[in-house]
Amino acid sequence: MGSYLIRRIVRTLLVMLGISLVVFVFVRSIPGDPAVAMLGERATPAAAAALREQLGLNKPWFFNPANPLDAQYPKYIAALVQGDLGSGLKSNIPVRDELSSRFPATAELSIAALLFALVVGMPAGILAALRRNTGWDNLATGISLVGVSMPVFWLGLLLSYFFAVKLGWLPPSARLGYEYTIQPITGFYLIDSVLRGNGGAFWDALKHLILPAIALGSIPLAIISRITRSSLLDVLGQDYVRTARAKGLAANAVTIKHALRNALLPVVTVIGLQAGALLGGAVLTETIFSWPGIGSWIYEAIAQRDYPIIQGGVIFAALVVSVVNLLVDLSYAALDPRIQYG
Amino acid sequence: MTTTTPSTTPARKSESIFWRRFRKSTPGKVGGIVVIIFILLAVFAQVLRPYDPTTDRNYRLNLKPPSITALWNPEAKETYTDAVTGKTNLWAAPFGTDNLGRDVFARVLHGTRISLKVGVVSTILALVIGSLLGVLAGYFGGWLDNVLGYLSDVMLAFPSILLAIGFASIFSVDNPPILIAAMDRLFALNSPQLVTAMLAVSLVQVPVYLRLARSVVLSVREREFVQAAGALGASQWRMIFKHVLPNSLSPLIVQGALSIATATIEVAALGFLGIGAQPPLPEWGTMISDSRSYYVDYPWTMIFPGLAIFLTVLGFNLLGDGLRDVLDPRSA
Repeated sequence: MGSYLIRRIVRTLLVMLGISLVVFVFVRSIPGDPAVAMLGERATPAAAAALREQLGLNKPWFFNPANPLDAQYPKYIAALVQGDLGSGLKSNIPVRDELSSRFPATAELSIAALLFALVVGMPAGILAALRRNTGWDNLATGISLVGVSMPVFWLGLLLSYFFAVKLGWLPPSARLGYEYTIQPITGFYLIDSVLRGNGGAFWDALKHLILPAIALGSIPLAIISRITRSSLLDVLGQDYVRTARAKGLAANAVTIKHALRNALLPVVTVIGLQAGALLGGAVLTETIFSWPGIGSWIYEAIAQRDYPIIQGGVIFAALVVSVVNLLVDLSYAALDPRIQYG
Repeated sequence: MTTTTPSTTPARKSESIFWRRFRKSTPGKVGGIVVIIFILLAVFAQVLRPYDPTTDRNYRLNLKPPSITALWNPEAKETYTDAVTGKTNLWAAPFGTDNLGRDVFARVLHGTRISLKVGVVSTILALVIGSLLGVLAGYFGGWLDNVLGYLSDVMLAFPSILLAIGFASIFSVDNPPILIAAMDRLFALNSPQLVTAMLAVSLVQVPVYLRLARSVVLSVREREFVQAAGALGASQWRMIFKHVLPNSLSPLIVQGALSIATATIEVAALGFLGIGAQPPLPEWGTMISDSRSYYVDYPWTMIFPGLAIFLTVLGFNLLGDGLRDVLDPRSA
């Protein structure tokens, strides 16, 4: 386990280095001059050149023959390791600060989406497996097919049209109504409003969260219900379950104690693997619901060619995904004692 | 004396097994029918409703509801009734009109051509490139396997839409690179940005095929018939392309059908974000993006293009499930 852990962590670090390289090259290949983007179209060439000099954009990318370390990539990696992601070109706010203020919004939305997916998807999958080839099974399979086939942005617009515009039950956009303010403690509005004892803000934040969470949770829901169903069916067909039944145990006890516990291992894996899909879906969901998170921020930054924000935001997203994947891999061993790592 | 060549008999037999199993798969049949309908709509779009996205504008008829509402809505009835003949044309604009007075139905219909082309081409590109790399990685192993495995790890760490956005934003310029301009001509898409989006979506799928093909090849490589071919002195390339690859195709084909579904959604998502197809091209995601400023009052401009995406994707997902039942029953 120890040597596996080290190898797995080294692999994750190497992947992170690869990610930084890919983002570095991508960002510098986006057409348009960031200095001109910062100064506006009417900037004089001399002012643009001076700004490029100041930002270090006139240096070679990877290697400077005069001074090997005086190139953009080494400097960028050195800064990255220190947690310095630069500042937004337009706003001049450090990327790290904005990232930490926006991440809770994305995390709150993603967690809510995942909870929604679990609360609906797992029971649906269990029901489908226990009542195999009945109407329930077909219903659950149908829901999961619809979930994976529905474009997130269209579902978001439909939800906001019917429940916000037509019925007026829920707000169509943003994280909180104008009449409320929450002094951030954790950045999670639901938690902060409770900690501050602000019941009105809590309900308002919850109402704002529902539609985007359903839109973002639709695909994980479909995948979770599908995996739960097939995994449970697989376990129910195994010998030890038949033995438990033959011993005369109650059907519910067999299902819950023997089958379900073992069937949930692949489900845990899949939940972990949804991290990337959730962050990707957040770009679309946050754009539709004007949710002030990382997804909508990266999207705006791309439109404005704000290099440091794109760089910082995308690297951060990719890092979150690789760390979650690492944790999922490691949790296998904890959850399933049969798995031994050499 | 006539002799049947041995190679044709097993082929015909496996074909009949394929159809026999496929006919039993409800998802496969439904998906197949949906996909065929969309293909027919795409092929005959110009016959069903001739349309040119650059000229078809009618400002007197902008943002009108679907013409079928003329049955109960007097205002719509007036819009769709010919003042001279007094006849109400319920088929004038079955899906309503958009802000420029364009027929949403015609645009959705012609969007079928774009989405199918883009979905299929991007999937085939990813399938061919990814599988070839995966076969090489699985067959040869060693440093090639390590390098390709590392590259796909890096690519899979990015949320795919972000990778696609990044790729598409690099090349979306007025003077597209030759490769993109050539593909634009080849597939008659008339939009270099759309080609870039297509390539971006394809790129994101490459590691998926790489891993799949690699794992299949690893298991096929050890089978007796491949070992036997090796023992008989077959060259490495002959082993790969005559023995290993043909026997690894089933999971790749299943994944291909499912990938067309994913690719269709992702290209539409890029269009929705303004990075893929540009207006006035009738691409479904771009149409939904256009409608965002007025869909609240005129929802048909958003509902029908989305419905088209949903049904196409559903069709390919069902077809993929059906093909899996038939070709790869163990993994179902």
